[in-house]
Amino acid sequence: MDTSHLAEHAGTASSFFASIFVVATLSMRTMIPLRVFGILTNIILIASAIPTRNYPTLVLHAVLLPLNTYRLHQMLQLVRDVKKSVNSDLSMEWLKPFMTERKCAAGEMVFYKDEKAESMFYIVSGRFQLVESGIELPVGAIVGEFGMLSPSNLRTQTLECIEAGVILSVNYTQVEELYVQNPAFGFYFLRLASARLFENIEKLEQRLAQHATPAFAAPRPA
Amino acid sequence: MASLLSSLRYLLADFIGEDDDTPPFPPDGLPDGAAPVVSEAIHRLIDYQGAGYARLYVERLRRFVGRRDVDAAMFGEIARLMAMRMSYEDPIRIAQQKLAELEIGTGNPRGPSADDVRKFRFDELVGALPAAVAEPVLDVLERLGWTRKRVSIRFSTKSRWGIRRLKIEAGLRRWRLFSVRYARERAWVERWLHMVGRSLAKQPMAASAIVQTADMVQGYGDAYRQGLIDWHAIIDGLAKPTFDGALPLGDLAAAIAEARAAVMPDPRQVALKRVIAEIRARALAAGANAAAG
Repeated sequence: MDTSHLAEHAGTASSFFASIFVVATLSMRTMIPLRVFGILTNIILIASAIPTRNYPTLVLHAVLLPLNTYRLHQMLQLVRDVKKSVNSDLSMEWLKPFMTERKCAAGEMVFYKDEKAESMFYIVSGRFQLVESGIELPVGAIVGEFGMLSPSNLRTQTLECIEAGVILSVNYTQVEELYVQNPAFGFYFLRLASARLFENIEKLEQRLAQHATPAFAAPRPA
Repeated sequence: MASLLSSLRYLLADFIGEDDDTPPFPPDGLPDGAAPVVSEAIHRLIDYQGAGYARLYVERLRRFVGRRDVDAAMFGEIARLMAMRMSYEDPIRIAQQKLAELEIGTGNPRGPSADDVRKFRFDELVGALPAAVAEPVLDVLERLGWTRKRVSIRFSTKSRWGIRRLKIEAGLRRWRLFSVRYARERAWVERWLHMVGRSLAKQPMAASAIVQTADMVQGYGDAYRQGLIDWHAIIDGLAKPTFDGALPLGDLAAAIAEARAAVMPDPRQVALKRVIAEIRARALAAGANAAAG
């Protein structure tokens, strides 16, 4: 019995079905649904390429399927990590995979006060000091995360490398892209930034209280 | 249709230039007499790079507007010198100037020379290109030991081909802000402004001398490089340690003037380094005496 016409009909039907998924994929506004529909389209096109023996399509989508899956996994992991960070130590370690390494020599200025802020930094090793306040930042500290959200976009302090080390940097544009592509990431990123801001305010209030206490505790002798 | 074109323009902004070419206004509250300097600088920077770059100038200038410790004369000098440093001389700038000369001098027999040969170092020439292109080339030049080799570039308006070449070179300004040289110049201007700011906070009497150090760095080629290393020697040897509290220098302005007087066209900076060492030794000795007595 000749089954070639059946395969041809099945191929045409599945190609039509796959086309609907291609349109659906391209109409997605954000990255996660786009990747999910991309994966479904890959699967359908692989399935439709088998009966019609359309090997170039089969190979192309066999390559695109793991790529889409990997990118989706990265996105979901990022959202999970940011969410976890909001609920635990407010760390920004999740940004590390998106950062590029930069070596700093002693005496090198990473950025200057009042300069337009364009990236944030993660201190990996060495010693770094905020010049105006004289505060030394510990290894593992993130610097410049508020510059992205502040209306003026200006650095509020100068950062100097006082002992050679390594920092990781990420451009605000990259973070903005993650934010726009992925609303869940954006939501948790905002919560994380606000939580860090509130934590800073709390620390300042504690410091103010410490300064204010002695004046009340130790009245001047008559 | 207009919004679609606008979106495409935004997408390709890095390659085709900015959409917003509205010139910036000088900042409000300028001191007396500063407005013409600022206005001229804005026009110069629009011509040099574009309205966005002029806006960066205005933003930088705004740091000093309304400050009680910055008088009108100092503000005018900051405005003038910053515009000068922000319009640094690279091969693109020289091509722009040559074309401007051609425009002004058309029909003028006593106009400027149509032919101009300038000597650049290889690294200076390549550094004017976008970093993505320049960095691998600079790595290769470094390996070959050719970065310091000099090359003569002819900027000529004598022939149609010469003018066409100048226009191509001047057109490279679209990518100037992505160049290796721009990254260095940006860091330099920020450092200079940072030093002016620190001087105003720590030694206000020396602020004017710090501002004036900007004119040490001028031109291109060897003169530019010499000015740059001399400037860093003075700032790293005298100004920064004074602001950090590591050098008890009472009169930083006089020390800078003394060091500047020792500046020679010497790449090894023998005289300058000696004078800086003497000033430091004197200051440390005076500081030790003051602490002992």
